[in-house]
Amino acid sequence: MKKVGFYQGCCFQGPDAHMFDTLKKVFADLDVDIKLIEKTTCCGGNTIDEANKFLVYSINARNIALAEAEGLDLLVTCNTCYMVLAKTKHALDTDPQLREEINKLLAEEGLEYKGTSKLWHILPFLLEEVGLEKLKERVKRPLKGWKIATYYGCHIKYPKEVAVVDSEDPQGLEELIEALGGEPIKDYEGANTCCGYHAFYTNKEVALKKVVRAPEGAKKAGAEMLVTPCPLCFKAQDIYQDMAENKPNVPSVYLPELLAYALGYDAKESGLSYHIIPVEKISVKAGAI
Amino acid sequence: MTVEKAVLKVYRYNPEKDEKPYYREYEVPVDQAQTLLDALFYIQENLDPSLSFRFFCRAAVCGSCAMKVNGISRLACKTPFKPLVERSKGKPITVEPLNFLAPIKDLVVDHDKPFESLKNLETWLEPKKPVPEKEYRVSPEEVKSYERPTNCILCFACYGSCEAVMDDPKYAGPYAFSRVYRYVLDSRNDEEHKKEMVKRAMEVGDIWGCVQCQKCIYVCPKGVRPAEDIQNVRGIAAEYGFKEYPGVKKLQHFVDWVYATGQINRLALPEEVYGVDPTPLINKFKERGAEVWEVPKPLPGLIEFRDLILEVMKEKKPHLDIDFHHVRKIDKKVEEVFNADVCTKITQHFEEKKEDFFTRFWKKVSQFLGAS
Ligand code: SF4
Ligand code: SF4
Ligand code: FES
Repeated sequence: MKKVGFYQGCCFQGPDAHMFDTLKKVFADLDVDIKLIEKTTCCGGNTIDEANKFLVYSINARNIALAEAEGLDLLVTCNTCYMVLAKTKHALDTDPQLREEINKLLAEEGLEYKGTSKLWHILPFLLEEVGLEKLKERVKRPLKGWKIATYYGCHIKYPKEVAVVDSEDPQGLEELIEALGGEPIKDYEGANTCCGYHAFYTNKEVALKKVVRAPEGAKKAGAEMLVTPCPLCFKAQDIYQDMAENKPNVPSVYLPELLAYALGYDAKESGLSYHIIPVEKISVKAGAI
Repeated sequence: MTVEKAVLKVYRYNPEKDEKPYYREYEVPVDQAQTLLDALFYIQENLDPSLSFRFFCRAAVCGSCAMKVNGISRLACKTPFKPLVERSKGKPITVEPLNFLAPIKDLVVDHDKPFESLKNLETWLEPKKPVPEKEYRVSPEEVKSYERPTNCILCFACYGSCEAVMDDPKYAGPYAFSRVYRYVLDSRNDEEHKKEMVKRAMEVGDIWGCVQCQKCIYVCPKGVRPAEDIQNVRGIAAEYGFKEYPGVKKLQHFVDWVYATGQINRLALPEEVYGVDPTPLINKFKERGAEVWEVPKPLPGLIEFRDLILEVMKEKKPHLDIDFHHVRKIDKKVEEVFNADVCTKITQHFEEKKEDFFTRFWKKVSQFLGAS
């Protein structure tokens, strides 16, 4: 069984507190042991950067160092966390002086950032470390006939030095959806538009305009839902889409939820039944669950 | 030998003649062009003299040749042609004017609006008083601190890619805030004027409309990082005391909650930023059967983490300080929810830390003894 460190970020709180347990089981089904690196903290959400960039580098160097101390790579299941952690890694790997300064601070806790652990975003991790073949093999409930618009989100595409997919032609989600038995829809209008999540608490009006663009395009292209590897895009498309004027009302699902469901977990465990914009595909079959 | 040809699908529009824009396809021999700009010259010289586009330096200096290539803002003169052809995998290469700017003709757009924004934001130097008799002295470190934003050539590639420009009519544009940042960092600039610029960045340019998509960083041909400059200007706004903006309240939330618990609390954000009671939303989740944790569980190692934050803040002063009054309120809430768990946890970890200290101490002593 492959073992990888797990970074929880702030994604598994509030109504999503159950999600880590589900992920643990789902990955075990895929022969991956995810080990929660317990002391890891919030990455700063690309917001604390406003107050102090050096602080963001410090707390994320600590986050990575905690995984390094256990000799593990670090798996991240959020686009923004990934970007913020990867920007830190990039900065520390290219600036020895910064690394030294930060390591001095980390030494107090007996930690050191060495740069030995790889950061994994969940999308490439599933593609490269798990593999489509295994996924196909382990699917228990194929998403047959599910028309799913793929939505990558921004922070795994830009900036270039931290991108995990081709920034101008991202790939991978479609193959994943196919492996789970669904029908991916790519290249719909708005597929490349930002979900607006990060503006919700800085300029709500802008966020509420942004959030409908991808769902609208997906709907026009005949999709029944969107899938995203980012829990923040997902929250925006679920909670904020519901608040928007003329909302297209297209449900959005977080990739691990879909994975869990296809691997046989029920609507609750997968989280699919907790959405503000209901995932009707599952209620159709609710009796069977 | 047949020369490989690439098809360019070029946006054409002459507002004086054409009812609406259309596309025309041109075949360009790949070996006739080093860059996309060369390919456009080839078209103009050999196929269609009526095609209009802007250029000057041909060396990524003047910023006049930015356009949209296969959907991405680029400088035509800095876009190597052959790799572009290869990437397009036999499909026509679409060449269009930059987004969000008024069309003049074909690929030429009107730059007045983004230039106007710079004026409106007053992005310049107002000499700091007293004006020195000879000249201002600027340290090399200071020059380095604004080297990146200074490299901006006003090509507006970022403007044409900006998610905020798309949906916020007030939004000045990425490059504009990089320029604000550059002049805020300048020690020769008058303090009052700096404050005025930051205020204008918010009120006139709506800097809080930025969604932090990072596209501006991706497309900038000069390595400017507007999204990050925007973060800095926002932080400086907080430092200047513009506390009434939602964005500043959000930042305070992040700083305080992360210090207090190692996490933010998404369920407390609506209240702390907009004064909106989150209960209806929480209830919606509960109705659907979700178990909702109203406060994130405090993380192990919290004491050490808090120490680290304080140490860092001592070394590099943040734009916004922790509000300890708020932190105490958070502590209290966490203690209530987790039955004083946070205290026991903290003491527990404090004990562990002490233990750690002694273990480390003995290790050092024995190392020392071993060595001597
Ligand atoms: S990060 Fe902000 S300024 Fe840059 S392109 Fe996105 S919305 Fe525009
Ligand atoms: S920031 Fe970069 S992309 Fe934007 S106008 Fe300046 S040089 Fe062009
Ligand atoms: S022609 Fe000057 S930047 Fe391209």
